[in-house]
Amino acid sequence: MSRLEKRQEFANQLRALVPQGQVLQSDEDLRPYESDGLTVFKASPLVVVLPATVAEVQAVLKWASKNSVPVVARGAGTGLSGGALPHEEGILLGLAKFNQILELNSEHGFARVQPGVRNLAISDAARPHGLYYAPDPSSQIACTIGGNVAENSGGVHCLKYGLTVHNVLAVTVVTIDGELVTIGAMGCDNAGYDLMALLTGSEGMLAVTVEVTVKLLPVPPVAKLVMAAFDSVESAGDAVGKVIAEGIIPAGLELMDSPAIKAAEAFAHCGYPTDAAAVLLCELDGTQAEVEAQIGRVSDVFNACAATQLHTAQTEEERLLLWKGRKSAFPAVGRLSPDYYCIDGTIPRRELSKVLSRMDELSKEFNLRIANVFHAGDGNLHPLILYDASVEGETERTEQLGSQILQLCVEVGGTVTGEHGVGVEKINEMCVQFDEATLQQFHSVKAAFDPVGLLNPGKVVPTLQRCAEFGALHVHHGQVPHPDIERF
Amino acid sequence: MTNDASNELLGSVREHVVNEQPMHIVGGNSKAFLGCKLSDVDDAATVSLNNHVGVVNYEPTELVFTARSGTLLSDVVQTLKQSGQQLPFEPPQLPGATLGGTLACGLSGPARPYGGAARDHTLGVRVINGKGELLRFGGEVMKNVAGYDVSRVQVGAYGTLGLLLEVSLKVLPLPETTLTLAFEQNEHDTTPMVQLARRFLPVTAAALIGRTRYIRLAGSDAGVQAAAKELGGERVVDNEPWQGLRDLNHEFFNDPRPTWRISCADYTPALTIPNDEDGQPAKVLYDWGGAQRWIKTSLASHALFEIAANANAHATRFSTAMNNEPSHQPISGVSARLQRELRTSFDPLRLFNRSRFHPELDS
Repeated sequence: MSRLEKRQEFANQLRALVPQGQVLQSDEDLRPYESDGLTVFKASPLVVVLPATVAEVQAVLKWASKNSVPVVARGAGTGLSGGALPHEEGILLGLAKFNQILELNSEHGFARVQPGVRNLAISDAARPHGLYYAPDPSSQIACTIGGNVAENSGGVHCLKYGLTVHNVLAVTVVTIDGELVTIGAMGCDNAGYDLMALLTGSEGMLAVTVEVTVKLLPVPPVAKLVMAAFDSVESAGDAVGKVIAEGIIPAGLELMDSPAIKAAEAFAHCGYPTDAAAVLLCELDGTQAEVEAQIGRVSDVFNACAATQLHTAQTEEERLLLWKGRKSAFPAVGRLSPDYYCIDGTIPRRELSKVLSRMDELSKEFNLRIANVFHAGDGNLHPLILYDASVEGETERTEQLGSQILQLCVEVGGTVTGEHGVGVEKINEMCVQFDEATLQQFHSVKAAFDPVGLLNPGKVVPTLQRCAEFGALHVHHGQVPHPDIERF
Repeated sequence: MTNDASNELLGSVREHVVNEQPMHIVGGNSKAFLGCKLSDVDDAATVSLNNHVGVVNYEPTELVFTARSGTLLSDVVQTLKQSGQQLPFEPPQLPGATLGGTLACGLSGPARPYGGAARDHTLGVRVINGKGELLRFGGEVMKNVAGYDVSRVQVGAYGTLGLLLEVSLKVLPLPETTLTLAFEQNEHDTTPMVQLARRFLPVTAAALIGRTRYIRLAGSDAGVQAAAKELGGERVVDNEPWQGLRDLNHEFFNDPRPTWRISCADYTPALTIPNDEDGQPAKVLYDWGGAQRWIKTSLASHALFEIAANANAHATRFSTAMNNEPSHQPISGVSARLQRELRTSFDPLRLFNRSRFHPELDS
């Protein structure tokens, strides 16, 4: 059967399971689904299916299982590691129609939502009740809760409030054979193994999420932002360790280096000191009494670490403006250069100075500029390599530099991905971080849920053969589309 | 004391795997009262972690602590305290308890609903699986999404997904000030605790014992004092009952009948528990703001499982009595199938702690 015949055959069969208009097969209809936020990888699925009910998801997965057809689930497609890249021989299961908040229980502090609900929409709905959903990835205006569960998304406030895994109570999923099962509990734990932890961050490899119950937390009555400038990145890094040593866990603690500061200031006009080598943004939240006490202590620490400038946002507008600069740092840096490539490593915080100075050397060695924004509180580093893809050889140099940075992260005891996921992008680097036996165990875990390997095949865990062929680190070049969406 | 017995342990497990001999994994044996003994595993070998001890890595400013599984929990707590830090999940400090056993049993204390569970603070593990392979998952960093989150799944798995060799945990600063308030209220009514959870206050524990509701506040001194003023109530001088609830030696536990734990939504109404055969009523204590209920009763296991199931909850027996009956709420349906397959993927021969956790996953 030719590809076109196969496509027609699949579409016909799927139209018996879901309403006509929810099966897409023409080239122009498929194009928007060719890639996720990592557009360097593109593939066309045979068919896109847009189920609108749980029963339709079950029917489609049963069909896929019976016919051994690969299935890739997709939320808003804002992912940055190619996790929702379609499979050319499979179907793309778009969950955009699952966009309803099913229940918002302010009395008991939870919301039951469909997977296609946007992250920010949950907090928007909860806020009139004095509640919110804590994880706040910078793409929260667009990304969906289903995708957040798949990636175990964090955000600038996760040092204090945790990642998705800490804020989700239960998920209802459909297994590859079409069975519906709810994992997790409305209490603090469930009987048996903690499948909730396993499913969170599993990048669509184990099951398809059709409902998510999230915890809602009371909105902190007061939030204050302290901005501190330093004349070296090292002293800013030391200040981070000293805040923690003081026994203070800020709600957010972000570091930007000079190139990032200049770019963000030019973009957002938020009042960053452009002559500083590094800026720390430290947010403290809680009751009035707590926040006041902590601001004094944090300011003392920053002064002791030779902060060249110290400023507390005077109004809520100013606080939000200072955050806006940080959250738009990436598109801002993007204006300095025709192309940029984002790295997502995590390192033990104590290695920050070492990693930054090594990165500085690498930057000179490769003759490529690097700007850094850094979730300093939890060691998650986002170096941005600035390059021009139209200059011959520059893309390759960027790849090599990115690869060296990731190796550096693993070398100092960190990881190749802190929050963007492995997807297809970092699958080779998994060979560097994990040994064969551990990778094999990952495959066995996958097989426990999906014995034939039909859910998102070829992602997250490399085959041992692939690792053998790979042999050394390699990082693909990537670009972030939709620079208007705040990220990281 | 510090000693790395990884190689000996790996050798020992491999030998038992070759011989298909079941193994009991034992740390300090302080939690021998947990789990059941259903199948005939008398020929099981004991693999002891007592000799695999010591802190591997601890930098207070990193908020990360890594130690070998046989390390005494009391040593861990002491080491952290010297740097002004703590295990945020407040695990029971039973005499002789080890770090590995604490994580394997997934036990968290009164702080659980407010500060997170043992699994929430687990960042990485080294384990030996049931095929005799040494594996490493997660790491020593706060954010890590490389591969499936196997580290957290190991927590509370009773060693049935692998023998824990080493764990890395997120730790947090000790609070500047801690104080406990007491309030009189109606018995069995968790509503005031549920309402409190919707307010932004530095609450780190809430329990209802008889007619007294206890609320613990902890954090910066200014914040705690302000919250205490706002809440009112009577200040408890000795800061109890938290240590007794944490270590399961509060006077409530003196009742000689078996102890049961029911984990449910905090807003679940009072459960109806029939009297014992001799007419004695059950006793109930509410911890975790109502989400963890301790029960003293002589009822049969299946009766407790039924009560829990009807409340969308699950029950666990914390007692050696009746240990020829299941101790953990039986799992069924699709979830059981997935969990059985997961167990198979780590320990295909069911060699680790066979039948101790959920025997229905081992048959």
